[in-house]
Amino acid sequence: MPDPSHIGRRYVAPGQLISPERVAAYASAVSGDDPTFSSGSVPPAFAAGYCVQPTLAEMFADPELGIELAGLIHAEQSFEWPVPVRPGDVVDAAAEVTSVEARRGLTFVTVGLEATNQAGETVCRGRTLLLTRSAAR
Amino acid sequence: MTAGRTPQVGDEMPALTRTVSQEQIAAYAEASGDRNPIHLDPEFARGVGLPGTIAHGFLEMAILAEAVARWAGGYERVAELGCRFSKPLLPGEAITCTGRVVAVDPVSGALTLQLEATSSRGERVLTNGRAVVRPDD
Repeated sequence: MPDPSHIGRRYVAPGQLISPERVAAYASAVSGDDPTFSSGSVPPAFAAGYCVQPTLAEMFADPELGIELAGLIHAEQSFEWPVPVRPGDVVDAAAEVTSVEARRGLTFVTVGLEATNQAGETVCRGRTLLLTRSAAR
Repeated sequence: MTAGRTPQVGDEMPALTRTVSQEQIAAYAEASGDRNPIHLDPEFARGVGLPGTIAHGFLEMAILAEAVARWAGGYERVAELGCRFSKPLLPGEAITCTGRVVAVDPVSGALTLQLEATSSRGERVLTNGRAVVRPDD
């Protein structure tokens, strides 16, 4: 069960390749076969694939943090994209536990996210709010 | 956006409606790497208190991002996006994303939109939505 002693824990997913094939598969899964946008651009929400999923997978696998997937709720999400990510970029992603609060039988875990490209530019910043049920009552 | 006219506070983004099938949820799981069984396995989902499988919040957010990008003229115009995942979207339901301009930066021309999404069951599935759209280069 996460508690405030876990604030500052960091989970990294270096070397995420933004391959045109991954981008195309993501765009197709979201939008179907509608070729509205040029193939040179990446759907912004693909940050879920190159930034959130790989870092949070590490976080969920941390036995000391002890997040139970079964009771987990993704409550809020925000992103900023200071520089657009492009196909062919290689991105280093990181997630850090920034706050843990227990309230009304729930534990609120806030995670800060950041992804930088091969030139060192920040392509994505984000914040994820997760809710987990506190110890069984 | 209407060509040749500066967007103004109160301008509405055209609504985007998409029906989300279990097949699309499965494709999204593969494309994003998020294979949490609450999205894929009805028995598992019911076991954790859900009515059945539910769409990924990130799939809903990606459709919201697409709505903004269609209106703004491309994925790379979307500088920020955030929302709260208030209610689950169930397979077979349609999601409708709406929004309007609430601020125009007088210096940069960046636009802030307030957004939300409702399901065909009438639930407000995404609330507190907010996006920032970069001005044209």
